[in-house]
Amino acid sequence: MSDAILETALSTRRAFAARGWREWSGTMMLLALITRAKATAWLLIFPAVTLPIWIIGSERGWLAEQILPRPADVLHTLNEMLASGELAQHVGISLLRVLLGFAVGAGAGLALGAAMGLSRRVDDHVRPLFTAIAQVPALAWIPLAMLLLGIGETLKIVVIAKAAFVPVAMNTSAGIANVPRALVEVGETFRFSPLQMLRHVVLPGAVPPIFTGLRYGLTHAWIALVSVELLASSEGLGYLLVWGRQMFWLDTVLVAMIVIGIIGFASDKLLAAVEARLQRWRTDGV
Amino acid sequence: MASENIATPSATTALRRGLVLPLLLLVAWEIGSHSGLVNPQFLPPLEKVAGVAWQEVANGELPHALAASLKRDLLGFALGAGVGILVGLLLGLSSIADRIFTTWFNGLKQIALLAWIPLISLWFGFDEAAKIVFIALAASIPVILNTVEGVRSTSTKLREVGEVFRFSGPQLVWSLYLPAATPSVLTGLHLGLIYAWLATIGAEYFMAAGPGIGGLIIAGRERFEMALVMLGIVVVGLVGFIVDRSASAIEHRLVRWRNV
Amino acid sequence: MSRAAERAIRAETPNADQAAARGRLEVRGVSKAFTVNGAPIAALNDVSLTVRPGEFVALLGPSGCGKSTLLRLIAGLDRDYKGSIVQDGEAVTGTSLERGIVFQEPRLFPWATVRQNIALGLKNAPISEADKRAAVAAHIALVGLDGFAEAYPHQLSGGMAQRAAIARGLVNRPRLLLLDEPFGALDALTRARLQTELQRIWAHEKITMILVTHDVDEAVFLGDRVVVLAPRPGRISRIFDVPAARPRARSDDDLVRLRNEVLRTLEHDGAADPQLSPGSRSDA
Repeated sequence: MSDAILETALSTRRAFAARGWREWSGTMMLLALITRAKATAWLLIFPAVTLPIWIIGSERGWLAEQILPRPADVLHTLNEMLASGELAQHVGISLLRVLLGFAVGAGAGLALGAAMGLSRRVDDHVRPLFTAIAQVPALAWIPLAMLLLGIGETLKIVVIAKAAFVPVAMNTSAGIANVPRALVEVGETFRFSPLQMLRHVVLPGAVPPIFTGLRYGLTHAWIALVSVELLASSEGLGYLLVWGRQMFWLDTVLVAMIVIGIIGFASDKLLAAVEARLQRWRTDGV
Repeated sequence: MASENIATPSATTALRRGLVLPLLLLVAWEIGSHSGLVNPQFLPPLEKVAGVAWQEVANGELPHALAASLKRDLLGFALGAGVGILVGLLLGLSSIADRIFTTWFNGLKQIALLAWIPLISLWFGFDEAAKIVFIALAASIPVILNTVEGVRSTSTKLREVGEVFRFSGPQLVWSLYLPAATPSVLTGLHLGLIYAWLATIGAEYFMAAGPGIGGLIIAGRERFEMALVMLGIVVVGLVGFIVDRSASAIEHRLVRWRNV
Repeated sequence: MSRAAERAIRAETPNADQAAARGRLEVRGVSKAFTVNGAPIAALNDVSLTVRPGEFVALLGPSGCGKSTLLRLIAGLDRDYKGSIVQDGEAVTGTSLERGIVFQEPRLFPWATVRQNIALGLKNAPISEADKRAAVAAHIALVGLDGFAEAYPHQLSGGMAQRAAIARGLVNRPRLLLLDEPFGALDALTRARLQTELQRIWAHEKITMILVTHDVDEAVFLGDRVVVLAPRPGRISRIFDVPAARPRARSDDDLVRLRNEVLRTLEHDGAADPQLSPGSRSDA
């Protein structure tokens, strides 16, 4: 019963949102708020149960501090790191690396993917080698890259770029190659030049898969960043993890993990939002 | 639609084209390392790499490391897949469990996998158990996600049929949801295998106790033996490829009733 | 249709008579073969046909008779054939803005609105931007899609999407409009309604139209002539004149009689089909 109410409220809300907020009525807003509140209430059950156990457990010393620090300690460390700007510094370095590496890797991936998707010849020539390289995860390349490039910034950017490059190239080439022939024919009947074909038929149709590729690329870029910082860095979030681990400062490790999770979540949501805007033509916000 | 008379390049043409770049690369490699244009420490000649490979196989190092890695991989995968299916079924079938846990799961899933290693190593140390836990964690995530999706997407129409025939709870799960979810579950297991292999290498890098391919690569790096590193990379890629292909083949055979 | 739209369309056709003199198609000895699994299949065998300016010709036949193939050759989407196809004195060597085409699927670009889709047809039209905008608006009104100009294809019903496709096919004011089973994917009610619409549009625009269909009723209702094609090899079996005056009613005695005659021809062709052995059902 409550499921039905939830569904009705959500779909009504979506329908109204599509038409613009002016058409909202007070009742609708109230209904939507109630459903939101209910969902949040369910969410809070898990922490409501585990948090007290954690707090009491660490007070009573049921678990050693190395296994599970006191929540207060974790918060304290978080505050400290925020206040001293230390956290911001590490986050900044990591973000910068990811952004640069992703830009390079995704850019190259888009270019190669487009070439592969548009030209059968290019695809034939490049695909076997590409697949072979794709089989080896970025993680495995790191020691090789370390031997060749040392442990400076170049190493990190290169590893991150490689991680982003593969999914972007694959999805871009598939997206471009899979634009329906039916639509290409429509362009032919209107005598579209190759440029017009690209701009009005191929690229718009390929945007969804390309975006999927970009999202995967970003996820892989993040993972690569953490890997390379775990192995070979003296700053950044990965370094924080290693340092905390070596000093047995579990609270630092947890703080770093939480920050990594939040940033990963935020960047994915951001790309999803951009994707949704670009794809308004697909579905009505369902 | 009937095929047009467009000249489509045959499979042999594609094959020929595909070999051009790799061959060129190999030739350039040989020339580069022999002529001394590139420091042979950075680019050992192919024969050296082959030689090292043979050596490592002959003295038993490579098979030993490979066996150790594969063993961890499969144990971790089995653990992760098992837990993953159970958790996936729970989250998919029980709307209560879904409401309580799913958002938290999605949040935890956002933490890059390798970031868990320091925590796991703090809890479990550096030995086999720690590595297997990490691998299991890595494998469980796609399994959970795909199992949930498989269960959720069991079409309402089929569910109604189950209701008409008054299936009991367990009957519903066994005769309807599980078979309907099987394709997705298999996809999840396929992805889980891929992630598990990645996690195996990662675990061996960071929890470097014990034999393994990852250990081989790390050793190669520390001793500046490029050939060893390259060998390790090739083995990693090869195993990944074989695992992926086998999983695909099995998946296709098991899901033949689907007209995909 | 609104007064303004009517005026807009009329303004674009300064001389209706002059326009009606164009749109003449000559198909001479056209043959085309496909290779399927190594064996050649004669999709079309020595097909000849003349279409007069402003005529509505229906190409009718069962699957495999080559009607869609022929249409694609006329459109210029396929250039591999023997024989000649000449439109208004110029050989068909490719696609042209003079030949509009409506496919069985609407083939609207899903990322563009109705207005943008129709406007894309004018990308290479040699007229001013203002004229293009007017043409788009006029054609949206022509097919009865006023109010849906900013809708996306996924928001349209099948019938509406096909209307948009027809508008796009007409927006260049081509001399020839080719329609490849345009209503085949629609339900019977929508189909009937759109057939009537098409008849109205044809009468108004005075454009030569060639419609491919496997529906006898549709062919007889819409066409000035019904060209019946037979398969294996694809060839013209018989051409019927439809002398019924317009506007037509489906229940006209003349039409019903003609329809039955056409059906008999189709059945006869089916019985004589070498591929269909006695006792098997025909494809039609």
